[in-house]
Amino acid sequence: MSGNLLKNVFFGVVLSCTSWSATYEKVAEKKLFNGEVVKEFKFQNGLKLLLVSRHQAPVLTYQVWFDVGSLNEKMDQKLNRTGLAHLFEHMMFRGTKKYPDGKFDELTSRLGSDKQNATTYYYRTNYFESVPSYQLEKIMELESDRMANLILDGELLEKEKGAVVGEFRRAMDNPSRLAWDELMRLVYTESPFRFTVLGTEEEIKGFSLEDAQYFYKTFYAPNNCTIIVVGDAKEENLLPLVEKYYGSMKPQEIPKLTLKEEPPQTKERKWEGKHAQATSEILLMAYRIPPVTELDIIPLSLISSHLSNGMESRLRKALVDTGIAVGASAGISNRPDLFEVSVSLSEKHSAEEAIRIIDREVALLHQSKISKNDFERALNQELLSVYGSIGNNNALANLFGEYLMISGNYLRGLEVLEGYKKLDSGDLQKIAKKYFKKENRSIVIVRPTRKGKVS
Amino acid sequence: MNRLLLSLVALSFFVLNQGTFAAPAVTAEEPQLIYEEDPSSLVSDIQVVIRTGSAEEPVGKQGLTNIFSELMLRGTKKYDRQKFQSTLERLGATLSVSVFHDQIVFSGEVIKENTFEFMKLLEEALFQPKFDEKELNSLKVEILNQIAHIKNSNNRLGGLAIRQELFKGTPLEKPAIGTLSSVRKLQMPDILRAYNNVFFKQNMLFAVASPFKESQWKSALKEMWKKFPDGAPKTRRIFEPKVPENLTLIVVHKPKTSTGVLTFAQKGITAQDPERYALGIGNFSFGGEPLVSRLFRTIRGELGWTYAINSSYGAMGSLSYQPGIYTIVSTPSVEFTTKTLFKTLASWQDYVRNGLKKDELTLAQESSVNSYPFEFESAQKRLGQRVYSELYGVPVLSQEDYEKTLDKIGNRELKKALKDRHTEKGWIVTLVADKDVIAAQLAEEQKGMPYESQLKISKVIMPAELIQ
Repeated sequence: MSGNLLKNVFFGVVLSCTSWSATYEKVAEKKLFNGEVVKEFKFQNGLKLLLVSRHQAPVLTYQVWFDVGSLNEKMDQKLNRTGLAHLFEHMMFRGTKKYPDGKFDELTSRLGSDKQNATTYYYRTNYFESVPSYQLEKIMELESDRMANLILDGELLEKEKGAVVGEFRRAMDNPSRLAWDELMRLVYTESPFRFTVLGTEEEIKGFSLEDAQYFYKTFYAPNNCTIIVVGDAKEENLLPLVEKYYGSMKPQEIPKLTLKEEPPQTKERKWEGKHAQATSEILLMAYRIPPVTELDIIPLSLISSHLSNGMESRLRKALVDTGIAVGASAGISNRPDLFEVSVSLSEKHSAEEAIRIIDREVALLHQSKISKNDFERALNQELLSVYGSIGNNNALANLFGEYLMISGNYLRGLEVLEGYKKLDSGDLQKIAKKYFKKENRSIVIVRPTRKGKVS
Repeated sequence: MNRLLLSLVALSFFVLNQGTFAAPAVTAEEPQLIYEEDPSSLVSDIQVVIRTGSAEEPVGKQGLTNIFSELMLRGTKKYDRQKFQSTLERLGATLSVSVFHDQIVFSGEVIKENTFEFMKLLEEALFQPKFDEKELNSLKVEILNQIAHIKNSNNRLGGLAIRQELFKGTPLEKPAIGTLSSVRKLQMPDILRAYNNVFFKQNMLFAVASPFKESQWKSALKEMWKKFPDGAPKTRRIFEPKVPENLTLIVVHKPKTSTGVLTFAQKGITAQDPERYALGIGNFSFGGEPLVSRLFRTIRGELGWTYAINSSYGAMGSLSYQPGIYTIVSTPSVEFTTKTLFKTLASWQDYVRNGLKKDELTLAQESSVNSYPFEFESAQKRLGQRVYSELYGVPVLSQEDYEKTLDKIGNRELKKALKDRHTEKGWIVTLVADKDVIAAQLAEEQKGMPYESQLKISKVIMPAELIQ
C-alpha cells in the first residue's frame, strides 16, 4: 500500500511570462502536476483568459465568469437588495438585437452544446457550455454578443420573474433550504452574507427594467470577466478569436465591493424553527473560519475529509451507522467562510442527540491526534476526489473559476492539495482547538410542524 | 439533458479508429472484460456488472437485491467491515453498489498506484462476502431510515405513486430499495440464496477504464475468475405497465406546498425498439431538451408557470429489455398546477397528432448529431457505451452512421412512431400537492363543463402509504 500519494502540484512554476501582443499579455504559463499546462492571458480591456489545451477528444468547455453576485447588489447603494443578480442571469438567455429571445438557446443547441447553463452565487455568476471544438468561434460569437448587446425587454422580464418565483418557491418547499437561510442570518449580523442569493419573492417581483439595465451596465464589463477554455483548443487559434469578439468591448469602472465587517462572535448562537414539509429534524452547524487564502484552511480541509469522507468517516460511523441520522456531512465553505456540519436526522431521533455526538467527536479532535491510518485515509480520499475529476474539462474549468472568484488565485485549490503533504496529525489537533469552540459556532434546527415520533 | 435514446446506441469513432470491436466472451479461463485504456488518467475505474436486478425478486421481498449487494461491502471472510472499509479508503479508493431492475453494478475508483491492491479487496467482497448477521441488522436500520426519508422528496413520491399504479402486483411496483414492510421481513437465508442465485461466471461482466495495459488487467482478473462457479442465466421476465384508457389523476396529499410535482406517465419503449430513434428525436424537441423544447418554451418561457418541465423515456433508468415508462414532469407554482396539467395535456395531444414542425425536427437532428462526440469524450464514457451495447444487444454506430440514421427521420416517421407507441389520453397523472387546493382548482378550471366530462381526482394517497 502506498502512503502519501501526493504529487507536486506544479512541476514548473512560471515558464514564461509577460509576452505582449497588440492587445493582450501572456501573464503566465504554469505546468500542473498531471503534466498539463495552464496559460493565463490578460487583454488590454481587462478581460482575463485561462486556457488548458488537451486534445484527447474533439470537444472543449467554454466558461464565462463575472466577478459579481448577490453581495454586489446588496452593497450597491442604488439597488440595496438581493435577487437581481440571479434574475439577471436568467435574462441573459432572453435575446440580443442580432439573436432575439429563444435564438441563443436554439443556436447553442444546434451547435451540439452539452451541459449549457448558468449559476449565480454570493460573489460570482458563471455561464458555461461544452461544444465540439470546431464550434469554438460560433460559441464565442454568441457568448460575446449577449455580454455586449443584450436587449432587456420589460415584457420578457415579467415572464422570467414567473420562472424565478417558481424556482424560489421550490426552494422554499425544501426544509434544508430554510435551515441554510436561517444559518446565514444567524452567523452574520452585519455582513451581506445574511441575505439570500435568490432574494425574497417580493424583491424578485419588485425589480424594474431600469434596475436590470443598471446592473448590466455596471457589472457586465470585460475587466470584470474571465473566460476559461479547457479542451481541444490551441492558443494560436483562440487568441485571435478572443480579440475579434471581445477586443472592442470597453472596460468600465467596477464599483469596489466593500463588505461590512462582521463583528467577532463571542458566544454560541442557536435558532430553532419548523417547516411544514419536514418529516424529520435537520441540524446545521457552522464554525467561523478564515478565508481560503489563509494557511489554516489546509488542515481544516483535511479535518472535513476525516469527519465525513467515506464509509469510515467519523460522522458516518457515529450518526448514520447507528441509525440516528440518514445523512451527515462536514465541509468547508468559502465566501461565506464557514466550517459546516449538516445532519439529516432519522424520524425517531432528535437534533440534540446529534449535537451531543458531534460534541464528542470535536472533543476527541481536541484531546488527541488522529491515528496515522485515519490521517492517511483522509488524505487519500481528498486526493482521489481531485485526481478523479481533473481529467474532465468541465470539472477543471470549474475548479479554476471558483477559486479565482473566491481568492483571486485560480490555482488555490491545487495549492491546498499540495499543502496537505506538509501536515501531520498534530496540525489537525492544533487547528481543531483553534476553531472548534462553542463560542465560535452557530446552530440551526428545523423540526417538522407535526412532531411525530421525534423524542 | 435527455439525449438518452440518441446516446446509448453508438460506438465512438475513437473506438472505430482502433479497429473493429468484437464483444468479448465468457470462458472458463477468462472473464468478459470490456476495456478502455487512458494513459493520461490518474485513477482506475472498475465496474462489475451482474446481469440480474431487482425485477427478479419475489413479490413481497422487494429490497432483497439491494440489501445483499450492500451487505457484500460490509465485511469479508478475511476482514470485518471496519478493517475492509478502512483499508480500502486508505488506498484512496471508493467502492459502491447500485441496484437497477435488471442489473447490479459494483463501481470502484482508485488512485492508479493502488489499483491492483484495490482489486484484491474487490475480489474479497465479490467472492468471499462475510454476510454477518450483526451487519445485516445495522444495514436494515439504515435502509429503513432511507425509505422513511423518501417522504421528504416530493419528486420521489410522485414517481412511487406512478410505479404503484402501473406495475401493481409485479416486482417493479416498488422501488429497488424496497419498502418498510418488505425490508423488515428480509432474513439471512434470503440473502444467501439471492447471492448464490446471481453470482456465477455467466452472469458477470467486468468493465475497466485505466492507465494500464489491457494485458495487465487480463492477468489480474484471471486468478479471481477461477474462483467463481459456473451457472445458467435465467429467462428474463418482462413487465408491461398497465396504462388506463383515459387520464387517471391521483393526488399524493402534501399540505401547504408552494409548488406541486406533476408527473404524467404512460408506457415507454425498450432499448431494442425500432422506433427508438424517431421517438428520441421527437421527445428532444417536445420536452426532452431543457431551454429549447416545446414544453419548456411555452409553459416556462411564455407563461412562467413552472421552473422545471421535462419529458423522458428514462424515468426507470436507461432503456432496457423492459418497456418502462415515458414521463413528463414539472414543478409548477401551486396556483398554476392544474393550468399546467391541462396545458401539458393539450401540448401532448397536438404532438401526438401532428408530430414536430420542420424547424423543431431539424433542431433535434442537428443538436443530436453535433453533440454526439460528447458521448465518447472520456474513457469512462466510451466504456459506458460499450457496456450498454453489450448488455442490451443494440447496434453501435459510427458518427457517420448515426447521422445517416437520424437524417432518415421525417415527421411522417415520427407520427407513425407516436401512433404505434403512445396514446393521446392514456395517462396516469400524479400530483404531489394539497388535495383540497387541487380539488378547488379543478372545479374552477372546468367551470361550465358537463360534470361527467370533467377531470376528477381518482384517488388520494398519503405519502406514508407509498413506502409501507
